[in-house]
Amino acid sequence: MDSDALARDRLGTAKRRWGLRAVPEGAAAALVVALAYYLAAHLGFAFTLKPHPISTLWPPNALLLAVLLIAPARTWWWLLAAVLPAHLAAELQSGVPTAMVLGWYASNCSEALIGAALVRAFIPGPVRLDSLRSAGIFMLGAAFAAPLLSSFIDAALVRFIGWGDEAYWELVRSRFSANVLAELIVGPLILTWAAFPWSRLRKVSVARIAEAAALFVSLILVSLAVFDQPFEAYATPALFIAPLPFLLWAAVRFGPTGTASALAAMTVMTIWGAVHGLGPFAGREPPEVARDMQLFLSSVAVPLLLLAVVLEQSVRIARDAHDQRRQVAHLSRVAMLGELSGGIAHELNQPLTAILSNAQAAQHLLANKSADSDTLAEILQDIVVADQRAGEVIRRLHALFKRGEAQLEVLDVNEVVHEVLAIVRGELVMRSIDAVAQLGEGLPRVRGDRIELQQVLLNLVVNACEAMSAATPARARRLTVRSRAAEGGVVVDVVDSGPGFAAGQYEQLFEPFYTTKPQGLGLGLSISRAIIRAHRGRLWGSGVPGKGASFHVLLPASPDKG
Amino acid sequence: MQACVSVVDDDALVLRSMGRLLRAAGFEVRTYSSPQDLLGGRAGGQPGCVVMDLSMPGLDGLELQRELAANGDPRPVIFVSAHGSITSSVEAMKAGAVDFLTKPVDARQLIGAVNAAIEKDRRSRETQAQRSAVDACFATLTPREREVLDRVVAGRLNKQIAAELGTAEKTVKVHRASMMRKMQVDSLADLVRIWTATRSPGTG
Repeated sequence: MDSDALARDRLGTAKRRWGLRAVPEGAAAALVVALAYYLAAHLGFAFTLKPHPISTLWPPNALLLAVLLIAPARTWWWLLAAVLPAHLAAELQSGVPTAMVLGWYASNCSEALIGAALVRAFIPGPVRLDSLRSAGIFMLGAAFAAPLLSSFIDAALVRFIGWGDEAYWELVRSRFSANVLAELIVGPLILTWAAFPWSRLRKVSVARIAEAAALFVSLILVSLAVFDQPFEAYATPALFIAPLPFLLWAAVRFGPTGTASALAAMTVMTIWGAVHGLGPFAGREPPEVARDMQLFLSSVAVPLLLLAVVLEQSVRIARDAHDQRRQVAHLSRVAMLGELSGGIAHELNQPLTAILSNAQAAQHLLANKSADSDTLAEILQDIVVADQRAGEVIRRLHALFKRGEAQLEVLDVNEVVHEVLAIVRGELVMRSIDAVAQLGEGLPRVRGDRIELQQVLLNLVVNACEAMSAATPARARRLTVRSRAAEGGVVVDVVDSGPGFAAGQYEQLFEPFYTTKPQGLGLGLSISRAIIRAHRGRLWGSGVPGKGASFHVLLPASPDKG
Repeated sequence: MQACVSVVDDDALVLRSMGRLLRAAGFEVRTYSSPQDLLGGRAGGQPGCVVMDLSMPGLDGLELQRELAANGDPRPVIFVSAHGSITSSVEAMKAGAVDFLTKPVDARQLIGAVNAAIEKDRRSRETQAQRSAVDACFATLTPREREVLDRVVAGRLNKQIAAELGTAEKTVKVHRASMMRKMQVDSLADLVRIWTATRSPGTG
């Protein structure tokens, strides 16, 4: 290592040690946080029930805490330093003594640090409200413990500096409840939107965007009607419940992000109404109004956020299971294609032979000067046809090999059967198996993933081939693939003339890792059944020993004709 | 009669292309799309060879080869396979195939194999013709002349033969001269050559 590199390395170590490395990319972020803090402070002022000095909801602290939860711990000091100018700029306008302004800066920072440290102790890395555990830790650490502990410091500072004349415990209480609400509303809003998958936004359907818009507009209208009208006109406590269906809608359909946004919107409208003497909370002493609103909004926010998180978690678990099933299905498909490699080579070698022999025939004709243009045209035409045939083999294989998203389409089962028989044609020839397709006409169409359905039929056909070539004389090997309309859908039967199974053995065949083949893994049929179940169909076997085995796939008819 | 190459493949495209190639190379070619067609074609009398796909539906190449032999079609068989597995090639060669080629088959290889097979067929037909001629001559010998022939070919002297058969040496000489005339040979060396080359059945 030369001296320059050594120097660079030392500098790098020093930067890492002091957290300086985060400065360039952190500077812009710190600026944005400072600006947001400044605006949040003004929002907090707007939520103040004058002449009461403490806001109903004081967002800057919650904003700072949420930012710390997203940012790496080594940048925390920079972020805290960055908001000092914003804090001073916002607070000094309000005519509060400088000592008190600095005291509040200290207590705000203490809340953010306590909350962030508590949450980080349990969740390393950026905090996302994506599991019940992380939501629970956030609520206990950031939304309860941090406001509680910091409110003691805050109240002590206020009394020490001598600002106002409120009692210590009254200060603790009002400060605590304002910050709890802020943490519950602002924290989740920032954390969920920071983790929002913007890259997937383009895939969101128009219907879903419309639904979100409808939800938002309805919630605003209901909140306007409940919280921003003179309340005497139609006073009834039941009105408090009116926004709940819309919040539940958000929780069920739009996850924690949607719920946090809906809660934030409702909170803003509630406080705005109260500040302007409107809605059910107005008309009493400001401290009582603030306390009522804080209690109401907090007790709505906690269960709804938890509900949204739990729902999202269960959706994610189901999705993970689905992804895993697809992954296993893909692996077993690739393994099956490996088993078919001999037959596939056969299918490619046939057209290659035709191409080569045709081309070499033409070369001979040209060398002998006996080539006439008609013959050459025929030869070229055959080469084109052979080439297209090889291309088809490759296309089919590629479709089976690649791993893609499930693509549901309305399809004709007979087409799937044809494709499968084309894929195994070489295998059938190699194993001297006589294959017959008896395809019903005018069958209802089904809805499914073409590749997965091909995989299931391929699995059944390959099993049949292996069973027959192991135990059946060449002349008696017969594979029948039949399609017919039945039971409100389509049934495909794959029938072989192999040794068959005992009646009790069929269900065992579908158990994972159960196999009758010397080299089998025992996964094919269990995966096939899982695929067919995911298509809301059924897969079962029948037949008696000595008379061959039959496997049946039932797929429900698609409601749309496509 | 000109040699003819019979090509059997169930894949029309492949059948046509291989037929074309062999015709372009100057062979007389007949194409059959199934083993049954070949068996029904009764081209067995014509010299030449058979080029067939190893695996075809209905009757696989090895079975077809056995059928041909059973039907008295002596033509050599060249197998081509689109999946050259070792077991099937060994089996084919054991069953008497003259060659085993894997698809896609290069023209030079195919033409070389066909030429070799036709040559083999020509030679075996020649031997067969010679054997029939020798058999025909042998059929005209009397029992005593056959006994003399056996012993002459085995290298016995007239005196030893006479002793073994319990007759006079003179009588043996007469039988021997008559046998040589009927077998259409002038010398003992010629007799031994045609006899060992054809190994006519019914000796000993």
